[in-house]
Amino acid sequence: MNGKLILLNLFIILAFFLTGCQDAREVQELGITLLIGIDIEDDKLVLTGEVVDPAFTQPGKGDTSQNNIVKYVQGTGNNIYEALRDLVLKFDRLLFGYHNKVIIIGEEVAKRGIVGYIDQLFRSREIRETSYMLVAKGGKAYEVMGINSGLEGIPAMHILKLIQNAKDNPKAVDMNMVNFLRHYYHEGHQTILGVMEKKKKRRINKGSQTEGTEDLELSILGSAIFNKDVLAGYLNGNDTKAVNYVMNNARGGTITFITPLPDKGERLETGTGHNNLSSLVVINNKSKNDVEIKGDKVLLKTKIRVRGFLEEVVGNIDIAKRENLRKMEEACSKAVEEGIKSTVRKVQREYKLDVFGFGLAFNKKYPQEWKKVKDNWDEIFAEADFEIEVETNIIRTGIINTPITMKKGK
Amino acid sequence: MVSKKISVNKERLLEIFNGSSDLVVYEFETNSGIRAMICYIEGFIDKDLLDRDVLKPLILNLDKVKHIKKVIFVTQINEIDSIDQIVHEVTYGKVALFFEGSSKVYTVEINKWPKRAIEQPQTESVVRGPKEGFIEDIVTNKAMLRRKLRNNNLVFEDYLIGKQTRTKVSIAYIKGIVNEKVLQELKSRLEKIDIDSILESGYIEELIADKPLALFSTVTVTEKPDIVAGKLLEGRVAIFTDGTPHVLTVPRLLVEGFMTSEDYYLKPYYSSFLRLLRVLSLFVAIYLPGIAVALQLYHQDMIPTVLLISIAGARQGVPLPVFLETFVMVIILGLVRESSLRLPKNISATVSIVGGLILGQAAVEAGLVSAITIIVVSASAITEFIIAELAPSIIIYRLIILFLGGVAGLYGTTCGFVVITMGFVSADSFGVPYTWPIAPKDWQDLKSDTFLRLPIWKNIFRPKGIVKKNIRRQIPPWR
Repeated sequence: MNGKLILLNLFIILAFFLTGCQDAREVQELGITLLIGIDIEDDKLVLTGEVVDPAFTQPGKGDTSQNNIVKYVQGTGNNIYEALRDLVLKFDRLLFGYHNKVIIIGEEVAKRGIVGYIDQLFRSREIRETSYMLVAKGGKAYEVMGINSGLEGIPAMHILKLIQNAKDNPKAVDMNMVNFLRHYYHEGHQTILGVMEKKKKRRINKGSQTEGTEDLELSILGSAIFNKDVLAGYLNGNDTKAVNYVMNNARGGTITFITPLPDKGERLETGTGHNNLSSLVVINNKSKNDVEIKGDKVLLKTKIRVRGFLEEVVGNIDIAKRENLRKMEEACSKAVEEGIKSTVRKVQREYKLDVFGFGLAFNKKYPQEWKKVKDNWDEIFAEADFEIEVETNIIRTGIINTPITMKKGK
Repeated sequence: MVSKKISVNKERLLEIFNGSSDLVVYEFETNSGIRAMICYIEGFIDKDLLDRDVLKPLILNLDKVKHIKKVIFVTQINEIDSIDQIVHEVTYGKVALFFEGSSKVYTVEINKWPKRAIEQPQTESVVRGPKEGFIEDIVTNKAMLRRKLRNNNLVFEDYLIGKQTRTKVSIAYIKGIVNEKVLQELKSRLEKIDIDSILESGYIEELIADKPLALFSTVTVTEKPDIVAGKLLEGRVAIFTDGTPHVLTVPRLLVEGFMTSEDYYLKPYYSSFLRLLRVLSLFVAIYLPGIAVALQLYHQDMIPTVLLISIAGARQGVPLPVFLETFVMVIILGLVRESSLRLPKNISATVSIVGGLILGQAAVEAGLVSAITIIVVSASAITEFIIAELAPSIIIYRLIILFLGGVAGLYGTTCGFVVITMGFVSADSFGVPYTWPIAPKDWQDLKSDTFLRLPIWKNIFRPKGIVKKNIRRQIPPWR
C-alpha cells in the first residue's frame, strides 16, 4: 500500500516536470498572428504574416495610427516550415498562430493545387482548423493584405467580419480549413472557396483628397471553384448565391424578383413607379438534391423551400389580398428557379465541375452504379439534365401593406 | 480541611496565594463577639454591596454562626469545607467568610468587575437583524443566548479547563434536538483536554478539531447570539469560553461558509442570489490568480483574441514574469490587508488608500505591474472579503493554486482542485460528513436551504445530516 502510494505520488510529481515550464511563454513576447498569406514566387513559397503590435491597446503608449497596429513579416522557403524559420532571422518574435483567423492563398498556389502546400497548417497544433480560407483573386496574397477599409483596427479582424457577414448575403463563401479538406475528400463533390479581391473605391468628397492616391477596398464577393484542389475558375456573386442555395449553405440573404401584375379589374392606379422589383428576405431555406437515371442520361433534381418576409415591394399590386400574395410567392419562386438554372447551365458548360454535390446524392441513391461512374462523374454531370422546384412562403409583409407607390381606394 | 482557627486559615490562604498583593484578608468582630474574617480578591467584588449587605448586617446582627442566612441579604450563600473549593470560588470573584470556631466557610457572590458594553461585533456587522454581539463575560453571554431561546430544554454544562488559567468553558445545547452522538463526542474531547491555559476559544477549536492539520476549519466561530441560537436549533452544540466573545459551534459543514444570519431575515430571492454569489466568490478567490497565470503562461490559445491582444498590450515592458508579478501582488495584498486590519480604523482607511489606490495606480503607470494582474488580484481579494469567514484558508489555497498554475498550467490548477476537493470530501466534523448535503447527497436540504434559501414556510425540516430526531421544524400554515 505504502509503496503504491509513493509510486502514485512519484507519477504525479513527474507529470509536473513533463508539462514543464519549458512551454511557458510570456504573453508580451508572442507575435500574435491573425492573418497568413501563402504565395509562390520563383518556385519558392512566400509566407506573409500579419502580426499584431498590441501596444496600440494602451492609451498613451505605442503608435495608435492605423498603419502601425500590425506589422507584416515575410519569409521564403521551400515549404511553409522553412518559410516560418526564415522569418526568425528577420523578425524578433516567433509567430503565434493559435489565434489565426484567415489564410489567404495566392492565385498561383491555388492553380498549382493547394493541398500539397498546406500540410504543415494541419499538422502543427498552432493553426486552428477553423481558420477561414480565401483565394486572392487575380494576384498575390500579400497584395490584398494591408488594406483596411473597415472600422476594425486590425485588418485581419476586418476580413474575418466580412466572412462572417456572408451569412447575411450568400453571394460569398465562408469555407474554413477543415471543411475545405472534407470537401476535397468527398467524391462527387468539387470544392469551392471564398475569394478576396482588391477593388477601387468610388471617390467620395473628391476635393478633400490629394490627387493621385487611390482608395482601395476589399471585397469577398464571389467564389473560386476547384477541380480537386486545383483552381478551375471563379464564380460571380449571383452564381455563388445559387450554389449556396443548392448546397443548402445559405442562411438568409435576399431574393429580388419582378413584381407580378394583379388580375384585371383589380388593377389600381400607380404613381410614377418605374422600378418594378420586389425583395424577399430569406429567414430560412432548405434544399434537397436528388438524381435519377433516365436511360443513358442522368436527371438532376433539386427542391428548394424558402421562407421569408417582404422587405421591398415596388409595383402595382395590393399585397393585402391573399391571391396577390400568392402571386408574389410564385414570382419569387420563379426568380430563384431561373437564377439557379442559369448557374447550373453555366457551370455545366464552362467548368464541367459538380460543385453542387449531386454526386453525393447519386452515390447515396445508386451505390452500385456510382462505382462505375465516379471516375468520370464530372463529364456525366456536365451532360445531365436539370430540374428544379421552388416553393416560397411569405410569412410577413412588413409594417405597411400596399406599396407606397399606390394610392388605395381610387 | 478548614481549620477552626481563623489565624491558621489566614496563614494558609496567604501561603496558597503566595502573598499575592490583590488578595484581601480582613479580620473583624461582630457585636455579639464572634471573631470573623473575610477574604476576596480586589477588583472582583462590589465593595458597596459588601459593606452594606454583608459586613453591616453581620457586625450588627449576627448572634450565632448558623443563623448567617437570616442576616445577610444576598441570594447565594454556599457552605464549603474544603480549602481547594474556597480557593476556586475566591478566584472566581466570591467572598469567603470565615468564623472563629466554625469549620464551615461561607461564600457569597457579590462579584462585579468592569465589562465591555454589548456592542455590534465588527467582524459580523449586519444590515438587517440583531446587532448585539457577545462580550468577554461568559455569564452575560449565556444570558444573551437564553434570551434568544427562552426554553427549559436549553442546557448549559460547565467545564473548567486549563491548569493555570482555570477557564470556565460552557457547552450549550437544546435537549431533544441535539445530536447525542455529537454531544457525547464533544464531551469526551473536552474532558481529554489537559493544557495549562485557555486564553481564547481558538485553543479549544484546535484541540477538539477533527483534522487538526487541515487548512480549513471544522469548527464554526461566531460572535452573535442569534447565529448561535440558529445553530443550536439545527442540532449543533455551542461552546462558550470565558474571556472571549467568540463562541464555537460544532459540527461544522462546508456550506455554512456560504450562509449568514441575514439570509434568513431578508427576502428569499435576494438571499439565494447572495448565496450563489458567495459560492462563486469562493472559486474566484481561490482559483482566479492561478488560472490567470496558467492561461497567460501556457494556454494563450484559450484566451479570446481581443482579450489576448489587450493583455499583451498591457504587459508591454513589464519587467517581471507574469507568475512572479502575480505572486508579488498577492503578497502585497496580504500586507495591505494585515496592516489595515490591525490598525485603528481611521488610520487603516489611510493605509488601504495608500496601499490599494496609490500604490496600485503608481505601479501600473510606472509599468512595473500590468493592469490585468492588478484586476485579477483585486478581484480575488474582493471575493475573499465576501466570504470573510473562510478567508484564512482561502489565502493559503490561493498561493498553492497560484504556484501550481505557474509551474504546470491548467494541469496544475486542476490537480490542485482535485486535491482540495478531496480534502473537503474526506473530512468530517464530529461524525458528520463535512460536505453534507452535497457529497452524501440530500436533495431535500440541497434545494431548500443550501445554495438557495427557499421561503421560511418551505424550509420544513432541520438538516438531516445533523439532527437525528425531532426533525420537523414546523407545520407550514398552508400545505
